[in-house]
Amino acid sequence: MSQSLRGFPAERADLSVVIPPWKHNPSAWSQRIPICILALVATVIAAYMAMYQWRIVDDVWDPVFGEQSRKVLDSDVAKQMYGWFGIHDAALGALAYLGDAIFGLAGSTRRWQYRPWLVILFGIDVIPLGLVSAILVVAQGTIVGYWCFLCLVTAAISLALVYMAIDEVYASLKLLYLVGKRTGSAKAVWLAFIGRPFESADQAAAEMVRRAA
Amino acid sequence: MWARDVEVMLGVWLIISPFVFVHSDEATLLWASDFAAGGLVATFAVLSYWRPARHAHLLTLLVALWLVAFGRFGAASPLPPGMQNEIVVGLLLMMFAISQLRDAAARRLV
Repeated sequence: MSQSLRGFPAERADLSVVIPPWKHNPSAWSQRIPICILALVATVIAAYMAMYQWRIVDDVWDPVFGEQSRKVLDSDVAKQMYGWFGIHDAALGALAYLGDAIFGLAGSTRRWQYRPWLVILFGIDVIPLGLVSAILVVAQGTIVGYWCFLCLVTAAISLALVYMAIDEVYASLKLLYLVGKRTGSAKAVWLAFIGRPFESADQAAAEMVRRAA
Repeated sequence: MWARDVEVMLGVWLIISPFVFVHSDEATLLWASDFAAGGLVATFAVLSYWRPARHAHLLTLLVALWLVAFGRFGAASPLPPGMQNEIVVGLLLMMFAISQLRDAAARRLV
C-alpha cells in the first residue's frame, strides 16, 4: 500500500484520488458542480410553483398541458400536504433542491473520507427524497388525472441527480463498511462517520483508492 | 465562511419579518419569536468568526428547530404567512448551520 494514498495528514494528502469501479474521484468539483447547478435550476422552478400556490403569481406557465398545471398545483393532494406540512409542497421541494446544492458545495474533494456524514446527508436529500418526489409527480398524473409540465421537469432533474450523486454516497458507505469489517467495532464506524481521523479508518480508505491518471 | 454570512442575512430577515408580513398586534409570541430568533442567529453566526467560539453556529440548529416547531404547531392550519415564514427560514437555517466549506485539513491522525 502506497503511503501517499493516505488521507492523513490532510495537508499532504492527495485529494483527487480515483475510487474504483469508477475512473474518477466522486467528490471532484467536476462531479459536484453540475449537481449543484442542476439542483439550483430545480430550486428556481419549484420556488416558482410555490409562488403560484401562495398566489404571489396569478398563473403558472405550462407550454404543453396548459390549464392542467393549475389543477395539479391546486389539487386535493396538494391541499392535503399543505395541511400536513403547514407550507406548500412546492416550497418544501424548493428547500430540498436548495439543500442538494448547499450540501453539494460543502467540503473538500476528499470529503467522502473526511466527512462521510455530510455525504450521506447529501445522499439522503438527493436519493430517497428525489425518488419520493418523482413518484409523487407520477402519482399526480395518474391519481389526480392531470399533468404539470414543470413538475415533470423537476421530477426528471430529481432522477438525474440521483444518478449523479450515487457514486459519492457509495464511496462513503463503502468506507464505513470497510472500517466496520476491519475493526469490528460500532464505535469505530461512528468515529469514521463523523470524520474523526484514526489509523485503521485511514488504512481502509487507502485500500479503496487509486491514484488519478 | 459563506454559510455564516447567509445566516446573518437570514437573522436580519427574521428581525424585519414582523413588518414584512404585518403580524397582528395580538400575535405577541410570533413577534417575540422573530425578534429573538433573528437576533440569536445573527449573533451566533458572527461569533463563529471568533476562533474560541468557532462552533457557535451549531447553536443555530436549536433556534431553527424552535422556528420550525413553533411555526408549524403554534397556530391552526392554514397557517398565517408569518408562521409559514418561520418554517421556511427554520429549514433554511438547518441546512446552513451544519455547512462548513473546509473539512479535515486542520485535523491530525489520532
